[in-house]
Amino acid sequence: MEERYAIEMRGICKSFGSVAANKNVNLNVKPGEILALLGENGSGKTTLMNMLSGIYKPDSGSILLNGQEVAINSPEDAKRLGIGMVHQHFKLVDVFSAADNIWLGDDKSGAVLKKDRYNTIGEMAKKFGFDIDPRKKVYNMAVSEKQTLEIVKVLYYGAKIIILDEPTAVLTVQETAKLFDVLRRMKGSGHAIIIITHKLNEVLEISDRVAILRKGEYICTVDTSSTGEQQLTEYMVGRKVELNIDRPVVEKTRPLLEIRDLTIRNDEGAVAIDRVNFYIRGGEILGVAGIAGCGQKELCEAIAGLRPIESGMMIHKGDNIVGLSPKSILEKGISMSFIPEDRLGMGLAPSMSVTDNMLLKKYDQSKGPFVDRKTGRAEAQQVIDELEIVTPSTETPVRRLSGGNVQKVLLGREIKAGPNVIVTAYPVRGLDINSSYAIYDILNKQKKDGVGILFVGEDLDVMIDLCDKIMVLCHGRVMGVVHAHKTSKEELGLMMTGALDLTNKYEDKPAGIARDSRIEESEEVEE
Amino acid sequence: MKNRQPLFHVVKRDHAGPGRQAAAYVAAVVLALLVGAVLLMVQGVEPVTFYKQLLTMGIPGSRYPWRSVENFIKLFVPLLITSMALALAFKMRFWNIGGEGQFIMGAFWAGFAAMKLGGTLPQPLMVVVMALCGALGGGLYGVFVAALKVKWGTNETLLTLMLNYVALYFLQYFAETKTDWNFFLDPDSARPKFAKFPANAQMITIPIGPFNLNLSLVIAAVLCVLLYIYLNYTKRGYEIAVVGDSPNTARYAGMKVGKIVIRTIFLSAALIGLAGAFQVSSAGILSTSVTNDVGWTGVVVAWLAKLNMVGIVVASLLITVLQFGCQTASTTYPSIDANFANLLQGVILFIVLAADFFTRFRLARTRKEAAK
Repeated sequence: MEERYAIEMRGICKSFGSVAANKNVNLNVKPGEILALLGENGSGKTTLMNMLSGIYKPDSGSILLNGQEVAINSPEDAKRLGIGMVHQHFKLVDVFSAADNIWLGDDKSGAVLKKDRYNTIGEMAKKFGFDIDPRKKVYNMAVSEKQTLEIVKVLYYGAKIIILDEPTAVLTVQETAKLFDVLRRMKGSGHAIIIITHKLNEVLEISDRVAILRKGEYICTVDTSSTGEQQLTEYMVGRKVELNIDRPVVEKTRPLLEIRDLTIRNDEGAVAIDRVNFYIRGGEILGVAGIAGCGQKELCEAIAGLRPIESGMMIHKGDNIVGLSPKSILEKGISMSFIPEDRLGMGLAPSMSVTDNMLLKKYDQSKGPFVDRKTGRAEAQQVIDELEIVTPSTETPVRRLSGGNVQKVLLGREIKAGPNVIVTAYPVRGLDINSSYAIYDILNKQKKDGVGILFVGEDLDVMIDLCDKIMVLCHGRVMGVVHAHKTSKEELGLMMTGALDLTNKYEDKPAGIARDSRIEESEEVEE
Repeated sequence: MKNRQPLFHVVKRDHAGPGRQAAAYVAAVVLALLVGAVLLMVQGVEPVTFYKQLLTMGIPGSRYPWRSVENFIKLFVPLLITSMALALAFKMRFWNIGGEGQFIMGAFWAGFAAMKLGGTLPQPLMVVVMALCGALGGGLYGVFVAALKVKWGTNETLLTLMLNYVALYFLQYFAETKTDWNFFLDPDSARPKFAKFPANAQMITIPIGPFNLNLSLVIAAVLCVLLYIYLNYTKRGYEIAVVGDSPNTARYAGMKVGKIVIRTIFLSAALIGLAGAFQVSSAGILSTSVTNDVGWTGVVVAWLAKLNMVGIVVASLLITVLQFGCQTASTTYPSIDANFANLLQGVILFIVLAADFFTRFRLARTRKEAAK
């Protein structure tokens, strides 16, 4: 007799216009099993899962639930059938409490907010072994708490099949471990789990089987126990890929950018960066690690001149840059590229063409009243060729490019300007392996050319391989600057949560202050 | 498991080319006219002859065909300039729906100049002075809102909307207050009534045979070309596009966003004020219904044209033909009045929006085997 699957997808096809997002995809999960869905950006993972959760409808093919064919026409259908999805971007109402967020989508709850909802939901969460306060408002929650709430929500609605779209992208190492415990427990209680992720080490750690998609096509499903990172990457990319990140050793220069006692407030007026010291030399990559929202954004904005600082010094090659306009900071050769969660918010004008985006920082330099699009087009073509950007033409709106290509346009422009300091935040956010490595190569090339790079990242494995030194922030304070080749993920994780403070590791040298600083020197000159 | 299966579902289309899009729009207009035909038949009006009269605007067979064209231009120019000016603001995602107010202010200050200086200046100079007064009056009225937005982040939609009524009542005050100091009114009339402008405050016309070409049409055409170049090729136009697309990116690129907003809105509102000045100097008299609703219609035109200058010329021509044609046609049909033009305009807008949807999506029949 055939094995019973909790859910099975047979020959699923889905296209958007002439673009086929899914071609003849087969997928199945047993109850009590964790299936990892692996694929590069744009390989159709999310599209496929959206068809399970009722957001899209397949053009052809069938979906079987416990061996019976079903039609999922809407998210309500999916909910009724016991399919729950935890999206990458949480679908929560910020001003509601945890319990109300769950109550909101419950068909049986009726129109009245009953007083006992806190108890009902609190008890239910406890039953599954979750630790959440049902009265806590979502806007007061940390990212990991929000995610827990999303999981509790789908469980409360009675989901037997749970889909998680890149759940670890926003979590620290410790939080990821906790999430995996939860997943294993749910697996133990007979739930079928599908997890989408880019991170191979996590796939190997958590899943029972791995299904691989490449450019919308179903490649194969393999047992996790019988595979490895190298093989999975080959399935995913379609050819052999070198999985090592280079860390070239380069002659370092004197500090290019020095930050002293820097304090910055965030939009709400709270201290976002608290008396921070650090410096970047030419020819090195300084990583910045920290949980989301620990002041990285404010730091980047302050260096680029987009956010006023509270107090402290920012010295570039011995010159003060505090209070300069974004434009004059650009002219000094400091480039900042920040990839926000939506990937398009800062640094690019999404509806405008690649050419126009290339011109963004220099449109004013040409003579006369007109924008010099001829040069812009030539440069756009150059960047497209050099970084292998996939785009129909230089006149295509950036919005229509895929994530990796959008980020290449942004970085390409920044590098084209010939900066001496690059501040880059999350340059590989959401990118697949291939595009990520292309970006690491670009950064390493800049480093070899003597550029100082501040790399704000999320993936600790990558940072340990790529960066020369890593600065760890926790609630806006520096917890220490460590040499990347001497540290470990566990150490960084402890520092990120504030459990370990290495700022006073060396007694002879205060953390974040260079021995050959240019600051003292310039002060002497003034005297 | 029993499941209800909808017959159709929406599927995305490939990006449609400009030819296909144009075809969709033409089809939409035709469809709207068909809807209009049904409405006409319900009222016992024969649609073919009505549309014939509407589209020819009563020109054939008229004893003064050129007079019709002149009147048509008087209706067309204010709408064209206003729509272009609104598109300028919309391109920056500044929702200026205060075209009415800015237009009234332009007309008012042009009228002010006409009544105060009317007898003293030669006609060309007088027209220039009126145009400048109108542009400045409208421009300052608009820039007030832009400055508040830049300074305190106020909502421009609400403010421009409310200032429309302020401007209207301001003008009405002068229209209805019969006192000695109110030089706007006709001193010979016992009831309050706007006075005619002196002859040298009338818009210049260029005689071509029996036809008098209104100078404002020439200026509007020139403005159209200039704005097209401004938006698409100059640095200032580039800035507008970036600020509209993402103000954060603009700031990041070192642009002074506040300055750009104020400059652009001044330009937009000043152009609308200019349209107001042209309107009153062509009419030769102020009126409380001076705007002919161009502040509203202009919003429709700008969006129908997707803020594209060429599209704006076409759309404002179409709307003016409808309005002017309905006016002339309604003289033969007592049951139809100019409101029918507004109705058709609304139907066209809706169907064009639907056509726009169908250039991007299509309905696909849900296949049986998938539905089983």
